Amino acid sequence: MRYPTGRLALQSASLTVQPGELAVILGANGCGKSTMLRIIAGMIKPTGGEVRIAGRDITQLAGRALAEARMALGMVFQQPHLVRRRSVLANVLTGTLGRHRTIYTALGGLPRAEIPHGMGCLKQVGLSHFAQQRATTLSGGQAQRAAIARALAQRPRALLADEPVASLDPEAAEEVMRLLRQLATREGMAVLCVLHQPELARRYADRLLGLRQGVIAFADAPDKVSPAEIDSLYEGFHPA
Amino acid sequence: MNSESTNAVLLGGHLPPLQRRRFGALMTTVTMLGLAVILAQAMVVVKARPQDLITGIHGMADLLSRSVPPDFSSFPSQLWPALETLDIAIFGTLFGVILALPLAALAARNTAPAPVLYHGARAFIAVCRSVPDLVWALLFVTAVGLGPFAGALALTIHSVGMMGRLLAEVIEDMDMGPMEALASTGAGRLQIFSHAVVPTVLPSLMSITLYRLDDNIRSSLVLGFVGAGGIGFQLLTAMSLFDYRTVSLLLIMTFVIVIGAERLSSALRQRVA
Repeated sequence: MRYPTGRLALQSASLTVQPGELAVILGANGCGKSTMLRIIAGMIKPTGGEVRIAGRDITQLAGRALAEARMALGMVFQQPHLVRRRSVLANVLTGTLGRHRTIYTALGGLPRAEIPHGMGCLKQVGLSHFAQQRATTLSGGQAQRAAIARALAQRPRALLADEPVASLDPEAAEEVMRLLRQLATREGMAVLCVLHQPELARRYADRLLGLRQGVIAFADAPDKVSPAEIDSLYEGFHPA
Repeated sequence: MNSESTNAVLLGGHLPPLQRRRFGALMTTVTMLGLAVILAQAMVVVKARPQDLITGIHGMADLLSRSVPPDFSSFPSQLWPALETLDIAIFGTLFGVILALPLAALAARNTAPAPVLYHGARAFIAVCRSVPDLVWALLFVTAVGLGPFAGALALTIHSVGMMGRLLAEVIEDMDMGPMEALASTGAGRLQIFSHAVVPTVLPSLMSITLYRLDDNIRSSLVLGFVGAGGIGFQLLTAMSLFDYRTVSLLLIMTFVIVIGAERLSSALRQRVA
């Protein structure tokens, strides 16, 4: 992947995430983690290569077809990005809008038929009791779990998480990581997660991917990756 | 002391102390003279004759004596025009906001679907805003005839201009996160607008609308002067008939309506904030 500015952000990086697997990408700032995630999510087009979701190459798609293909991917961001004034359930239901393109939903209506499904998603993340509350009333960890429920409401085959715990305290971070782990193990979801905490990654991931200057440096089970290898990713970034 | 030294730097700081002080005094004199010239030309241009105020005092006293007591007997017949005035403002505000919101979405950099639409919407909003509502009313009186409908249309168009710009700014300032998140779920453009943008800007939308309603009520009082109905039209009629007791009644009603609208609007705005 080369940006129009000429900067080479990612090269010959190839990875596959299996259903039921939680893979974590580690790497220093600017190593190409975000670029990789954005390409996989179809937000930017790579200059070469392909992204297959359930066998279908999304780099060849555009517009509506791309939007539909992207529905197979649930995104979780660094911030929960909830609509703060709406209820938690309403926020979760917005995840289903892609499959309900009607005049009613275009004018702000929520697909009623999806309410049981939305409640199911909230139950999965342990927030059933908060369904009717405004999103502002949630704590940081709860809000991030609600954001995951919104991604689940989309009925994705895979979850992409871009530093999902970066803005959370350690306890809430554990909560969110536990949840992602469960979704992979119990629901058979393929989860690809960018993390800045090697220690969390080690405990929750099935596979660690080290990214250094746009190249995958290692990709292996956590117990086969040495601490030195992980440290080498961040060399030069922590002068102290 | 500090500001003096700042001035000194700006105005001849390179000069030795005594000359510097003289330079400062000179600049002050020039500024004062300049202001005096501007004021003098304004007085000439507006043909200001203070003596007329003194000689005219009789006329004013006469006018006042002829306008008391206000003619309360005509109060019931003025209620309908008063309602007209309010309804012109309500119509203009509601239809104004209904048109302004989608236009604002086109005129906000972060939600505009295409540059052509962005510039088009911006230009349209600017035209609506820069032509005064009184001029719009004159145009609509020509188009749809005398009466409140012309006034209602004038306020609608002018409100689109005022609210469209404010709303576009609110939309541009909002957090893009929820919009991105919805886009990633495969939601359509309209869905993103109605589910992420509208709920987020709703409090601002309400307070802008209430503020506009207050403004529109004041404008709608004047619109009658160009034949666009309401209390203004009654005021014009009463004045041309030298019916000053009705004029004073109408002014009292105007006062009550304006103050009432102001109070109500600010009370409601505090609620939504």
